[in-house]
Amino acid sequence: MNISRRTLLTAASTVALLAQPMAAAAQDLPRNVRMVIGSSSTGGDTYQNASILADALSDHLGVNIRVDPVGASEAFKALARDSRGTTIMMHHDQSYLQELYGVEGSPDIFAETIVGPTISVNPGNAYLVPADSPYESMEDILAAAEAGERVRVAIQPGGVSEIGFTAMRNAARMRAPGSEENIVAVNTGDQADKNQAMWDDLADVINGSIQANEQFTQMPPDDPTAMRFIWITATPETLNQAPEEGLGETTREDMLTFAAPAVSVPMTDEEDFTFDKEFFLMFNPDTDPAIIETIDTAMEEIYAEGEIQDRFLSSFFTPDYRPMAEAQEHLQSKNDDYETIISDLKPE
Amino acid sequence: MDLLAHLLDPWFIGLICGGTLMGIVFGAIPGMTATMAVAVCLPLTFSLGLVNGLALLLSLYVGGITGGLVPAILLGIPGTPSSITTTFDGFPMAQRGEGEKALKIAIIASVVGGLVSLVALYFFAPVLAKFAIKFSYVEKFLIIFFALTVMAALSKDMLLGIFSGVLGIFLSLIGTYDITNGGNGHTRLIPPGMDYWLDGGFALLPVLIGIFGVTVILEEAEKGMPRGQSLKDIEVGPHSRFSFSIFRGQTTNLLRSGGIGTFVGILPGVGGSAASILSYTAAKTTSRHPERFGKGEPAGVIASEAGNNGLTGGALVPLLSLGIPGDSTTALLIGAFALQGIQVGPLFISQNLDTWNAMITAMVISNLVMLVTMYFAIRWFAMVIAVPKQILYPFILMMCVIGAYTINYGIIFDVWTLLIFGVFGWLMVKLRLEVAPFIIGFILGPSAEIYFVKSLESFGDPFIFFTKSWIAAVLWILIVASIVMSVILSRRNQGDGAMPT
Amino acid sequence: MDNLTRVTIDFDTSHLIFPTIIGIVLALLGLAILIRDRRAIAASPQMWATTFRDMDKPRFLGALGLTIVYFLAMVPVGNIWPNSGYGFLICSVPYMIALGLLFMHRRSSLAVGSMLAVAILAPPLVWWLFSEIFFLTLP
Repeated sequence: MNISRRTLLTAASTVALLAQPMAAAAQDLPRNVRMVIGSSSTGGDTYQNASILADALSDHLGVNIRVDPVGASEAFKALARDSRGTTIMMHHDQSYLQELYGVEGSPDIFAETIVGPTISVNPGNAYLVPADSPYESMEDILAAAEAGERVRVAIQPGGVSEIGFTAMRNAARMRAPGSEENIVAVNTGDQADKNQAMWDDLADVINGSIQANEQFTQMPPDDPTAMRFIWITATPETLNQAPEEGLGETTREDMLTFAAPAVSVPMTDEEDFTFDKEFFLMFNPDTDPAIIETIDTAMEEIYAEGEIQDRFLSSFFTPDYRPMAEAQEHLQSKNDDYETIISDLKPE
Repeated sequence: MDLLAHLLDPWFIGLICGGTLMGIVFGAIPGMTATMAVAVCLPLTFSLGLVNGLALLLSLYVGGITGGLVPAILLGIPGTPSSITTTFDGFPMAQRGEGEKALKIAIIASVVGGLVSLVALYFFAPVLAKFAIKFSYVEKFLIIFFALTVMAALSKDMLLGIFSGVLGIFLSLIGTYDITNGGNGHTRLIPPGMDYWLDGGFALLPVLIGIFGVTVILEEAEKGMPRGQSLKDIEVGPHSRFSFSIFRGQTTNLLRSGGIGTFVGILPGVGGSAASILSYTAAKTTSRHPERFGKGEPAGVIASEAGNNGLTGGALVPLLSLGIPGDSTTALLIGAFALQGIQVGPLFISQNLDTWNAMITAMVISNLVMLVTMYFAIRWFAMVIAVPKQILYPFILMMCVIGAYTINYGIIFDVWTLLIFGVFGWLMVKLRLEVAPFIIGFILGPSAEIYFVKSLESFGDPFIFFTKSWIAAVLWILIVASIVMSVILSRRNQGDGAMPT
Repeated sequence: MDNLTRVTIDFDTSHLIFPTIIGIVLALLGLAILIRDRRAIAASPQMWATTFRDMDKPRFLGALGLTIVYFLAMVPVGNIWPNSGYGFLICSVPYMIALGLLFMHRRSSLAVGSMLAVAILAPPLVWWLFSEIFFLTLP
């Protein structure tokens, strides 16, 4: 068969026809949107929050939204490649913290992406000690460091897991300069590794979460795996929004006894350190502002309806919508606060 | 709702049957894995409710792990990473006309392995979890080291084989020293100019299907696509007739392999593929005819399949008694529990006795469904061989692309990895390097690194590997035994005037 | 005495420890192979010559070339309709047909027909299953 002019024309017009809906939708949202997230797990909190939002958005806007857990590094690459608004990214505070901690290959999200609205908070970030630990409170830990005792804290370096550890060192330094050297990091990986570090007696304190560690705090104290909460980093405002019955056997009231202001880890002379792990969206810097606007407005309407809140709460997350402009300011100020304490503690 | 009510619920039973079948199909297609089957069905569980949702996911898991044996035996391409060791003896059996026999052996071994692990799970989960937490970085490193010693045993030429294995480890280290595993997030070994693509390293699954799937196809193309086996060839070989007498004298092997698989599943972080590699190593080390392994020894197929199915029950132990997943598939189950607002942790079993019983029941039923369907579907599976290569190979390549692209949810470099390692695998054969040790090194390399470096980092003493605990001592005995055996074996081969250049 | 065996690992450089050890082992093994198999290695140009002489070049190089083109084309084609998986769908059909024709020995109408049927039906089916039902991202 010869390729005639007619065949070529047919082919060209077919392509044009198929491409049309795309061009027509440019003002609105594209029909197929890909939400890449900064975690590569489908079992984790980032994926859960992303799918709750993606479900709500795709119902509300009538578009397909796929959530792809590609991990932070690949997610930033995918976002940078696509300025058509067909790829958006969802991640949490890790995205700027890893840059502050100098993790190789981390972009500056405030310069290289458009930070979008916040979505929700996972209030679970916590620090735990073995049930038979001599430390009864953060006060004990800071006092021990001051007295020259080494306190080993198991964390996953370079992000959310480290920020509370940095705060502890900062508090130790404020209390007795030099004593922060006695609070040392045990660099481990995921939650399993951190728990194991405690059970192997390689760590005195571990970073964990209410969700993953609550049941260990309910074990009989003579059990070798038993733990106690010693600090929950969330703000009291966030915890007060959590369901009153709490999680498992730990009520909201119990949780508040481990969080500021009941537990004080000072950040400055006036202020306690708190940390809410917030999920938010990011866009490619060249995205059509109309598309971003559409998503922001849609979210505002979704949160106004009030159904999405129940879905977050039933999975023990706190709904936390901030419109884009407000969210940018909020995250930037968080970034600046943490930048100060991280750089103050950098070894000379 | 109690157990009887579940058993009478057509949904419960239906989901188990459907899940098992779908799992088998996913497992049987090269490039698709059990993990993927569970991942794509995870969103469904929200509407199905906890017990029915779990029944579906668990049977996908059981089916997916087992389905991998079909292409492993018939095509020499493992359907899932955990069936790699099945190719070592299953494929040679099929090539000499014992395909049907190999399939039957593998299926029965799978079921036995699965049931062994369920018994362990049901009766000893909390005890086993308590034991598992005694394994620190040191013991985990020694386990990986033991699994690595199989490289020597699998090599046709010891020097080239070990070189290939070490090369596998080396290539697996390319990219970031992963923070989520405890690394420091720095990259290394990346060739200049490749940072953009290689900062995450080469992903395991594309490497695997590249080196098995694409390489096989390239080799066939090189030979000009010779006519393959026909259906008759696999049915009527000289020793093709299957009878249960093959399992005589294999009881220990079956139980040991199932047990090893279970135990590897219980240890978080050691990784699913290590299960079949370890049970294969153990079977070969203790066999009276180690020289037959790798050439079509039924005991090898038994060890591999009983081992990887042992994983299914084992990996649930830490999940349900510590809240920590035992492998990548069970990590997804955490998501299923979270969707229903259920916490998993040390109190899960006592607080959710109903769910727990239903889960075990679902897995037992799934194993039985798997046995029946696979056993009677063997003839259908075997038809794969009869599909003309001009249809089969392009189809496999296309499925490999889907598998590679979707394994990490849409990274195009994973597709290129497929081709890179397909060509690399072809080169390796030409250079007389050995694929089996290479892939074992590649799979185990990252864990070996983490546990080795972390052991030194935490304990600060190189002798800790010998002095840590009695478990370490036992592991050293196994390691030494495995190495001594490989050396004796290679001497014997040389004595037979086999190879040396 | 205790100090003699102590090692301290600097976390910031710990990513280089294991690759260095493995690199050294690899180099030593490589050296051993060079010495032991020096004759075989010296004869390798001849081995490659034989390999290329005996190779079914059209099929081998053709398969390689087609696969490269297939992979190269998928992303740009898919980019025309973002996140729809059409890149995979549109590229897979010609790839399967071309590869099928290349691998075929006798191009009888039955063989070509069955191959065409699979090549035309399989990609849409697979695309529909993975992209629409399982809701996975395809190129």
